Amino acid sequence: MKKIDRKDFLKIAGGAIAGSAVGTVFSGAPFISLQWLVEWTQDQHVPSSGLEKYLKGVCEICPNKCSISVRMIGERAVKVETSNSGCPFGQTSLQMLYHPDRITTPLKNTGSKGRAKFTPVTWDEAIKDISSKINGIIKSGKNDRIASINKERNLSSELLDRMVNSIGSNHSYYEPTLDTLTAGAVGGMLDYNFDDADFILSFGARLLEGWGDSASISKSFSRWKERKVKFIQVDSVCTRTASAADEWVPIKPGTEIFVALGIANHLIKKKGMGSGAADFGAWSAIAGEYTPEAASRLTGVPAKKIEELADALSRAKSPVAVAGKGGKAISSSSAEIIAVYGLNTIVKSRSVTTKQNVNFAGAAPIQTAAKFLAESKKCAGFDEFVKTKNFDMLIVNGADPVYKSVYGKELAAKLEKSFVVAIMPLVNDTAAYADYVLPSITSFESKTAAGDPVVKPVDGAIHAGDAVLRIAKMVEGLQQSFQWKSYTDLIALTGKTAGAAGFSFKGDILKKQLADLKKALGDANYSLSLVPIEAPVVGDGDGLAFPYAMKVLGSETFSSGKLYVQINRETAKKHGICNNESLKIITEKGKVGSVKALLTDSVSPDTVAVPMGFGHKFYTRYAEDKGVNPREIMNDKIDPLTGTASWLVTRVKLS
Amino acid sequence: MKKIIDYLKNEFNSYSKNIRITLMVLFALVAGFLIFGIQILFWGLGYTDMNNNFAMGIWIIGDLGLVALGGGAFFTGFILYIFRNDKLEPLINSTVLLGFMCYLFTFILLVFDIGQPLRAWFGYTYPNWGSHLMPQSMLTEVVWCLTLYFCVLCVELIPIALKHKILDSIPVLHYIGHYLHKLMWIMAAVGTFLSFFHQGSLGGGMWGVLYGKPTWFRPHYFFLAIVAATAGGTSFMLLIPKIAEKVMKKKVAPAESFQSLAKISGIMFIAYTIFRIYDIVVMSVKYVPLADRSFIDLWGGFFGIWLLVVELACCAGAIVLLNLKKFREQEKFLFYGVICGVVAVVFSKFDAVLHGFSVPNFPWKGFTGYFPTIQEWVVMLGSFATMALIYMWFAKYMPFFPHLEKEKHKEGGN
Amino acid sequence: MMKDMENKMKRRWGMAIDLDKCTGCGECAVSCAQENNLPIFEDDSDIPKKMTYLDVMRITNDRDAKFPDVKVAFIPKMCQQCEGNDPKNPQPPCVSVCPVVATDTGDDGVVSQIWSRCIGCRYCQVSCPYEARVFNWWKPKYEGSFKKSLNPDVSIASRGTIQKCTFCSHIWKKERDKAVMKGELDINAVLYTPACVSACPTGAMVFGDLNDPKSEVSRLARDNRAFRLVHTIDQKKPDEQKKFRAIKNFPNPKVYYLSSKQWIRDLMRFK
Ligand code: SF4
Ligand code: SF4
Ligand code: SF4
Repeated sequence: MKKIDRKDFLKIAGGAIAGSAVGTVFSGAPFISLQWLVEWTQDQHVPSSGLEKYLKGVCEICPNKCSISVRMIGERAVKVETSNSGCPFGQTSLQMLYHPDRITTPLKNTGSKGRAKFTPVTWDEAIKDISSKINGIIKSGKNDRIASINKERNLSSELLDRMVNSIGSNHSYYEPTLDTLTAGAVGGMLDYNFDDADFILSFGARLLEGWGDSASISKSFSRWKERKVKFIQVDSVCTRTASAADEWVPIKPGTEIFVALGIANHLIKKKGMGSGAADFGAWSAIAGEYTPEAASRLTGVPAKKIEELADALSRAKSPVAVAGKGGKAISSSSAEIIAVYGLNTIVKSRSVTTKQNVNFAGAAPIQTAAKFLAESKKCAGFDEFVKTKNFDMLIVNGADPVYKSVYGKELAAKLEKSFVVAIMPLVNDTAAYADYVLPSITSFESKTAAGDPVVKPVDGAIHAGDAVLRIAKMVEGLQQSFQWKSYTDLIALTGKTAGAAGFSFKGDILKKQLADLKKALGDANYSLSLVPIEAPVVGDGDGLAFPYAMKVLGSETFSSGKLYVQINRETAKKHGICNNESLKIITEKGKVGSVKALLTDSVSPDTVAVPMGFGHKFYTRYAEDKGVNPREIMNDKIDPLTGTASWLVTRVKLS
Repeated sequence: MKKIIDYLKNEFNSYSKNIRITLMVLFALVAGFLIFGIQILFWGLGYTDMNNNFAMGIWIIGDLGLVALGGGAFFTGFILYIFRNDKLEPLINSTVLLGFMCYLFTFILLVFDIGQPLRAWFGYTYPNWGSHLMPQSMLTEVVWCLTLYFCVLCVELIPIALKHKILDSIPVLHYIGHYLHKLMWIMAAVGTFLSFFHQGSLGGGMWGVLYGKPTWFRPHYFFLAIVAATAGGTSFMLLIPKIAEKVMKKKVAPAESFQSLAKISGIMFIAYTIFRIYDIVVMSVKYVPLADRSFIDLWGGFFGIWLLVVELACCAGAIVLLNLKKFREQEKFLFYGVICGVVAVVFSKFDAVLHGFSVPNFPWKGFTGYFPTIQEWVVMLGSFATMALIYMWFAKYMPFFPHLEKEKHKEGGN
Repeated sequence: MMKDMENKMKRRWGMAIDLDKCTGCGECAVSCAQENNLPIFEDDSDIPKKMTYLDVMRITNDRDAKFPDVKVAFIPKMCQQCEGNDPKNPQPPCVSVCPVVATDTGDDGVVSQIWSRCIGCRYCQVSCPYEARVFNWWKPKYEGSFKKSLNPDVSIASRGTIQKCTFCSHIWKKERDKAVMKGELDINAVLYTPACVSACPTGAMVFGDLNDPKSEVSRLARDNRAFRLVHTIDQKKPDEQKKFRAIKNFPNPKVYYLSSKQWIRDLMRFK
């Protein structure tokens, strides 16, 4: 054998190295390892798979209670199929269910209030402490210094009402909603039959933006389009509802009531129509001053248009004049609700009736309760309560009055001095002041009339009704009224309504409120009007917590950390404001800012349209510190019938 | 270690004050380039001002500019080796190095610009060739052509490096260098061929094929970009040695080399300007109206029509200063002329990118703006600084300007 | 390649969106985000950088009118699934440009996108006249328990890649798989509904097969209220159209919009 010399060896070795290098490259190994490198450096989450099934459930988000189907992968709910049910909010429910900031254990306040500094405690500890606080208050004979505020009427709110009332306090309130406000003004909730209506005239009621029972309205709306039913929106801003309506009747901000009076005047004087309801005489005497021409001067709507609207209303078979301005958040003065509802009675509409909520009966108040329960109560009167009364304890059930009430600041000051319990799934601005936050479950986790919950409740959270039950059971003297084991026993008992009592036109209220309104509109120091608007999904604020809310917001609402307010182009020119300019909004109460100007003629002159729902201080990582909250500076004049501040017209100036 | 530091210190202090400041700035930029480069590569492009609407920015301008200007290398090589214009010989080394660096940094900036640098090799393994001979995607063409041409430039560069005293004394390397040099005309031919394609594709074709976008769509954009590169590139190849001359205060090449290159550049600018005017005319009467828009209305917003005005003014400047003998032969005007040339081409790239992206796609949207963030600026300027440093190093330590060597010999002889 | 598919190609998915019924509620966008595992970035109010497939655009005719004649409308815009001049050989603006074949037209005409192939050069984004392609400028993050709602049918993209609406074609695939399990072998047998369409509360969106003349969507596409987004060549006379199309491709989207309002059509033209 030939001896391999050094040179050959080098050649062979070199060849081998080169060969294997080429081989490796062609084998694709480097590429595959690069691919691994790519994946490894990306550290991408891979959703776990599992058995797919569809569960039927009932959506409890709104009173419409649509049936839905939830797509499950193993134990996880991954999609809600609303299948064109009409609901414009249902798709957010999973984001609530799996919100990364859900509370999973009772929290106790540590440190000063209003900073949302909490430590976890056990349920037993929390319930014991809360109930002993209640017992202490009762013992010291201050039963009516316990108050509660609910977000909306549901099973747990009825239970909480029952508890607070049985203790001997009339101060169980609801955030102002369409139902509570109209109930205050006309003596019953307004029940519109939109499906059969053939002419819809909405006075600033933003029907398609979360107003009322939104799922059924969306459905009615698409049927109006098919049946070519005329839908007219009177509003000072071309909101989403106005854009989808057949016609937008632009008015000067806050003057909806004058349009209604002008129409009533025309109907009464020219058509000889009238209403048999109480106090119609006094009311129509005042309405008599608002001829279409007079109304036109106040509203900016041509007199002919007002007459046209009146004619159309009287001609229609089942017309509907819709009262209750706003979308998710409603604010109308009583006089305005009465005037608009009055139109329905004048044209004898069959599509609008009134009804009343009835709480389940059989409560036995504790002995000392009776003497506190004498005064009558205004469901929506929380603003008045905060303004005029003091309290030792407030139980907050899902509500967020610190953020949503125009008395938020005053309330916060009072909360600092009292004992506060918040029952809710996410810590909000009000819960930041709580002594205890009790985690409650969301719609998919609760049992409903239709059956079992779609998904297992989050560990540590319980139904708000159960939380109330547990507290009530430990209050001395209440055991008898709260014998149920769990909220599930109450499902069939709650949510009842009945027909409502008579309606009165209340001429004196009209007179007083018209005078106030005219005075406010004539204020030369504050020459513009703030008109709140609502962005999709965000609504009046609750929606901003959803991680996907931002996906829907366009640059007309919130962009690069700045809130945009819409101003008419002529008005802006008059005040020397240019597009994108940073502004502060100033009212008698104070100022908020900075916001940015968006100039568009889709708002009336002298109007500043400000999106609501922004400017939370504590409300999950997604909603905190985004924009400003206009309610801090809105009108705080209290309406005598509803007890709520009507912030519908706030006079402002800009700087 | 200490020795090295001392050496560097002495070396640094041996320069004049102006050069020291320049060097400091350049090194600072390079350091910034490294820091921000890491940030961009590891944490993503979110730190740039690019967005879903203005999808490409300053780096792509850099790419287009570098490739167009670096394209001067292919054209100069083409004239030298194929047309045998030997007057250009003294400039060819500088030209090749510039070309090489321009392409190298085009690659580097492209890697920064793509969202997944680790997947950059997909361009070779999953190319979008379509069913034809030519690639379907202009970017595929760019990637392949750039790579191949980059290899050519490497081969062209090696002999220059090999001519260094120390390396040249090794016999094997000497022969390799020698033979490679002999092969140079083949390289020049191949390079020219390749270069034509990617000049066209990256500079123009890439934009010209976007039929959904009226600002860009024009079938002849491909060819326009080639002409732009020949005109602007030659100016650039002249500008840099001129600057080197100013800095080193020595003549780096015979005047006739510069004159010859200037003349070529001037002539190409005439061709380019004619073509560009034709381009503007057909755009406004034919291609833009196809999309139901008017050419003049596309020019709005922040990056408005002045881009076009500057470009045309500079073209005119280059034509006058580089073609008329009386200007060209004056050092000052020659300098202005080539600057005009370079600016004209750079502005034509601004036009493609800044203006192109700012145009709204929907009638209810306005023109958009783009203001590069510090990261984008530093990465971009840092690349330029690196290029400048490399060039300086070559100019100082490599037998880079044969003319200079000769002069040196002469001096030594005397 | 495309030519061979011609024979098999039967479905040509398209959409019709009735703007008269759209209330701009954004439910479609939320549903799309949920179905397609869209990431949430640190600051999604940085609108030009946020990730959405479906953008509910608010438009006004401020350009053409003054108060009180100014109107507002909402246009839900997702990938318009362009097909170029020839539906038989679809050539969307965005497909031919991709250097790595990360996006392609399927045999049902849907423009697909493979996140894991995309190198993030954004060339396709540049080419899209409808701003339908979105880029992961940041790393897609899904925080805490929110991960539980992720859909296993849609893979999660890496930072630095392009994503876009695919007409939810994963749902079609799922429906097909189900049909196959039941013994159905014809891939054209099943229909499906994308997430945005099924979520719309007012039923403003209709999805279906444009090749089937009897389908609701092709009926709506022929409706005289129908138009396509910023695609004014549709309004030209046929011979003029032919002349134009000979010079260049047009996007020819497969999403149709319906509106009874003239101002919206007027706004489709640049002034
Ligand atoms: S960004 Fe991705 S999909 Fe788009 S062209 Fe580049 S590689 Fe292709
Ligand atoms: S809309 Fe854009 S992404 Fe969709 S097919 Fe057309 S060009 Fe491609
Ligand atoms: S079709 Fe699917 S991916 Fe496309 S916008 Fe609708 S939900 Fe999103």
